[in-house]
Amino acid sequence: MSHFYHFDTLSLHAGQTVDSEFGARATPIYQTTSYVFPDTDTAASIFNLERGGHAYSRITNPTVGVLEQRIAALEGGSAAVCTASGMAATFCAITAILGQGDHIVASSQMYGGNISLMKNTLPRFGITTTFVDPTDVEGFHAALQDNTRLVYGELIGNPGLDILDLEGVAAICAENHIPFMVDATFNTPYLCRCFDYGVNITIHSVTKWMGGHGAAIGGVVIDGGNFDWGASDKYPTITDDYAPFSGINLWEEFGPSAYAMRIRAEAMRDIGPTMSPMNAFLLLQGIETLSLRMDKHLANTKVMLEYLSGHEQVSWVSHPDLSAHRSHALAKKYLPKGAGSIVSFGVKGGRDAGKAFIENVELASHLANVGDSKTLIIHPATTTHSRIDADALVAAGISDDMIRLSVGLEDVADIQADFETGFRAAKKIANS
Amino acid sequence: MGFSTRQIHAGVTPDPLTGSILTPIYQTTTYVQPSVDEYMTKGFTYSRSGNPTVRALELKLTDLEGGVDCSCFGTGMAAVQGVMLAFLNAGDHAVISDVAYGGTYRLCTKVLSRFGVEFTFADGSDPSAVAAAVRDNTKLFLTETPANPTMKCSDIAAISEIAKKAGAVHAVDNTFLTPYFQRPLEMGADMSIHSTTKYMDGHNATVGGAVISATMEHGDAVRFIQNSTGSIMSPQVAWLTLQGCKTLSLRMDQQSANAMAIAQYLEAHPKVEQVAYPGLESFAQHDLAKRQASGYGAMLWFEVKGGLEAGKKLMDAVEIWSLAENLGSVESLITHPVTMTHADVEEAERARVGIIDGLVRLSAGLEDVEDLIDALGKALDQV
Repeated sequence: MSHFYHFDTLSLHAGQTVDSEFGARATPIYQTTSYVFPDTDTAASIFNLERGGHAYSRITNPTVGVLEQRIAALEGGSAAVCTASGMAATFCAITAILGQGDHIVASSQMYGGNISLMKNTLPRFGITTTFVDPTDVEGFHAALQDNTRLVYGELIGNPGLDILDLEGVAAICAENHIPFMVDATFNTPYLCRCFDYGVNITIHSVTKWMGGHGAAIGGVVIDGGNFDWGASDKYPTITDDYAPFSGINLWEEFGPSAYAMRIRAEAMRDIGPTMSPMNAFLLLQGIETLSLRMDKHLANTKVMLEYLSGHEQVSWVSHPDLSAHRSHALAKKYLPKGAGSIVSFGVKGGRDAGKAFIENVELASHLANVGDSKTLIIHPATTTHSRIDADALVAAGISDDMIRLSVGLEDVADIQADFETGFRAAKKIANS
Repeated sequence: MGFSTRQIHAGVTPDPLTGSILTPIYQTTTYVQPSVDEYMTKGFTYSRSGNPTVRALELKLTDLEGGVDCSCFGTGMAAVQGVMLAFLNAGDHAVISDVAYGGTYRLCTKVLSRFGVEFTFADGSDPSAVAAAVRDNTKLFLTETPANPTMKCSDIAAISEIAKKAGAVHAVDNTFLTPYFQRPLEMGADMSIHSTTKYMDGHNATVGGAVISATMEHGDAVRFIQNSTGSIMSPQVAWLTLQGCKTLSLRMDQQSANAMAIAQYLEAHPKVEQVAYPGLESFAQHDLAKRQASGYGAMLWFEVKGGLEAGKKLMDAVEIWSLAENLGSVESLITHPVTMTHADVEEAERARVGIIDGLVRLSAGLEDVEDLIDALGKALDQV
């Protein structure tokens, strides 16, 4: 059905067939560990991936399955695998195809957790990363090595908010038979369907705008179904026979969803970063209002940009929808509805004034999340990006006075009134 | 099949669609009907009127109590209300145990009294007192045994006989012992009521109630109120309660054993004035408790020498035991009924039925009994 309906309809219906036993209109929460097999032959064939079906909730679960199909439909991918968190999605997405001796070319402007994974954790397993400036497309080409197996970036960089030129980077990847993976958390499929621009795999922290209510942690990897894994011998985890499953060949058996199946068969089975059915249910609820929420997030962001740009206590404002932003043209191309609801700005008076601002606002919550329905603020230099060194901070576009704002769904006048209280406190510090 | 097998399997069959070994949580409002003519053929229309997850719990509780039907409610009080509204009209009269949960007393005296229903609070430990309370318009007997908080026991079979003669229904609040220890329907009662919040859940996770009926006629009457007044149980609560029920017998056995050891310890303690636990031979109705139930439960009370002031000191000082309302959970709880669970029972009425100011109620949990006794001992040292 995913090919016949529009976005809002898909966000309500994709992946769900009405419960056949009772007709329940909402997706039942299959809070169960296991599934009773009708007979031993069926059990064996499910275990061998010869047929679909559920065996154990670490690997698949009917409620989580509805969420996976819904997100795959919204993103326009061939299949999706949900995980316990966004970081689990990134880890599984990478390790499904990379191993010891392999190399990643990645944007230097990413969520701190992604940078830390590539800089600190993956090297312990022999996977190295070269970070490049996302505004320099040619830089991605120049950083490619013989052992490069993945190019990775975020469409809207965190927290510098530079826009990655998807088509430019995708062309380099296609030419070199390397998959292009994008963390699409900040844009969601409502603002940009990355596969339309040559991206091969997307991941999301669905904790953020997709879920939208700050209620559940979760992640997802979506297979674009548009990468020819068989074009080279660089991806043996997809194209070689897979011994643990009676030597099945995922690429031959599953074609456009072979990559997702590898994550299912290996990461979910052997590592087990499984999303809980309860979280899947809550996230499904969130996705039902994704477009409504995103429209309001963008409308509020537009007002806040005007407000902050004209405020005497604000030293600078950064958002790709502002014409002065260096990614403004790319934002108009890839994110025509709006470039998301993350805004960064500087408070006059530096670090201490920024701190006073954060401590004196009340409505805006000070916490390390984005994409909640509630307005959130944070000081990246001392929190989300505190585990990366000073040079990397600069490379990531983070300054000491930067406040990252995730614009919520409140009445925008109330957000402004709240900010006024914060700015008054910041002004006292700046003038003292 | 035995109780422990049934507490795990009754009411639950593997999901036909996926094989899911547990009943899914049907967190849904409504059910898509196959066609106008096939309305209701799959059994569900709207989740106030019925929900597959809640139904699984209803079937399990029906089986465990040995009834024919069950209706689950949002709370134990909603279940009591369900029975009262099902069988009492304006001008009718009901005979209620004179010691009962304070909320039941409040429902009778402050709510249903406004609708012209009359109540007599009779001493259930004396069947002749119950028989003497019967009027021409008596339609319902509600017996709570053992009763909260004094542990007074009532003779279920004798009161069922009285009710039958009076042409009235007899409902027993079986919360304190559960069908694992006490089976009211087999002793002639028409209905068994539960606050599932207590032992059925057992983990302090949910509030819920249930009414199990011995006949479809009574079951239908209660279900009609469940749907009409809408005080229903949520699917999430039903699902958690389904999990709790699986260990009901294990918890009841262990918590009762803990309660017995604690009661014996307190009885021998020089600073304790009196202890009431149906399992103690010193308990006034020990013989009745022994005859009509296979266990004594995990509830007991005691009075510290020095009365209310000494009791307060103990409740404030004691560790491990949480000062809280509720009972029956794996966590041990200590409660002062006069200021907490039974604050809405008038002072004179409390005095009449023996809810003394110094009464300290204990709900023995699943902790190591040595730790529970040690904590009480240390608190008594400070009194």
